[in-house]
Amino acid sequence: MSMLSRRQSNCLLGELLTMYCFLRFSILLVGLIVSAGSYAVSAAQPLTTADDLGPKVEQPIEFPHDRHAGDAAKGGMQINCMYCHTYARRSIVAGIPPLQKCIGCHQNIESVRETPRIKKLFEYWEAKKAVPWKKVHDLPDFVRFNHERHIQRFVFAQNKPVQEACGYCHGDVKTMTVARRQKPLSMGWCVSCHQKDHPVDATSTKTTHGPNDCWQCHK
Amino acid sequence: MSITNLLENWSDFRQQHPSDERPHREYKWAMSIDLDSCTGCNACSVACYAENNLPVVGKEKFAHGHSHHWIRIERYWDNDGREFADQGAQFLPMLCQHCESAPCETVCPVGATNHTADGLNSQVYNRCVGSRYCNANCPYKARYFNWYDYPTTDNVWPEPMNQQLNPDVTVRGKGVMEKCTFCVQRLTVAKSNARSAGRSVLDGEVQTACQQVCPTGAISFGNLVDPLAKVGKQWMTQQVELNKDKQAKDAEEKAVKLRGYRILEELRTYPSVMYLEQLRESAI
Repeated sequence: MSMLSRRQSNCLLGELLTMYCFLRFSILLVGLIVSAGSYAVSAAQPLTTADDLGPKVEQPIEFPHDRHAGDAAKGGMQINCMYCHTYARRSIVAGIPPLQKCIGCHQNIESVRETPRIKKLFEYWEAKKAVPWKKVHDLPDFVRFNHERHIQRFVFAQNKPVQEACGYCHGDVKTMTVARRQKPLSMGWCVSCHQKDHPVDATSTKTTHGPNDCWQCHK
Repeated sequence: MSITNLLENWSDFRQQHPSDERPHREYKWAMSIDLDSCTGCNACSVACYAENNLPVVGKEKFAHGHSHHWIRIERYWDNDGREFADQGAQFLPMLCQHCESAPCETVCPVGATNHTADGLNSQVYNRCVGSRYCNANCPYKARYFNWYDYPTTDNVWPEPMNQQLNPDVTVRGKGVMEKCTFCVQRLTVAKSNARSAGRSVLDGEVQTACQQVCPTGAISFGNLVDPLAKVGKQWMTQQVELNKDKQAKDAEEKAVKLRGYRILEELRTYPSVMYLEQLRESAI
């Protein structure tokens, strides 16, 4: 009796084993087919990589950053970035200057008053409409980036030139007309700088690196 | 992290939280909730919905356990076999306890939930793959999963209502876990402001949403490292210590006057939320 049942159970075991093998194999096959299919689908779409610098942004007025902030030798005015982007040192956002700020200077600059871009600027002013500037450095909604902390650290504590400090993330804006993204602004790129040791201030030899816990930047 | 490593050094992993040898340096956010003051009015829960972009899921999904209340009022009836409790209900606000040795953190397969230097238990939505392991391992059941895409397909915030969403908090998509953050968006702002002023965050400078609305002031929140903080004083008066798994109130010799305890301490989660036991008999 016991022999019989053992044989029966052996038989059952064997059957289970074959079924198991078959199932495993078929799952593997299905997996292969699915992965091949998904590869074919994903290959057709354009890849978004960390080096993707975003779409080219068309601005309503082609603002010449090089003329305003560029070196004097190249015909620039060497205006401090924070003269127009005034909130950078005390707020999360750097701020796009209001039209009043443009007009404040340009109503006294007769030499360029009749150039096409300035004419367009005054058209907005007379129509009492804000210039609809477009965002170039647009971070995802889940990122918390604070301009104040970076400017306080690099410009005020470490005494770096403003254009250099802004340039860490914004590239060499003083040579551009309309600002373009030059850095990937991806997480890996942020972290690559946060991992480095930076001096605490201009005089001390003490160094610290940027914060590296997730909630510092992710919200 | 291999399983052998995990098993061999289990006690080490359980002691990864800042202890006497490695204390918190600048901030340790903590809370205390006075159950004697709590009337179970649910204002904290409502404030949390408003502050943290929580979707109102509706009756049906709520019945399925798909609710999203980062702070919920637990109701206890002591009715002793009678139909209704003579003394009325007892209430207990339950939120993420921000355990120093959090069970949810050790089991996340992708490291989406981990501890910050401020003693917060962080949850990063971008990293979360939705394994829901953390939820299974949370003894307080304070984690909530996004079963649906509430902002789009479920349309929880139809057209003008999306204007009410808090821009400082992510609107979570489908398939990620979420939980109480101790209003980290407010903490970050307060810390940044304090840093610009060259000091630490002062007590009372930052409030969580639930604390802000509590009509009876049952919730206190603050920095445990700060000796002047109200919450620290409360912990000290109640002789509740962060690194102990048994407090003076529950010691062998009963300390009659003490009310402070932390929930499920025997699991050695070392929570950051202290509760003050209810003394009065009725909630009403």
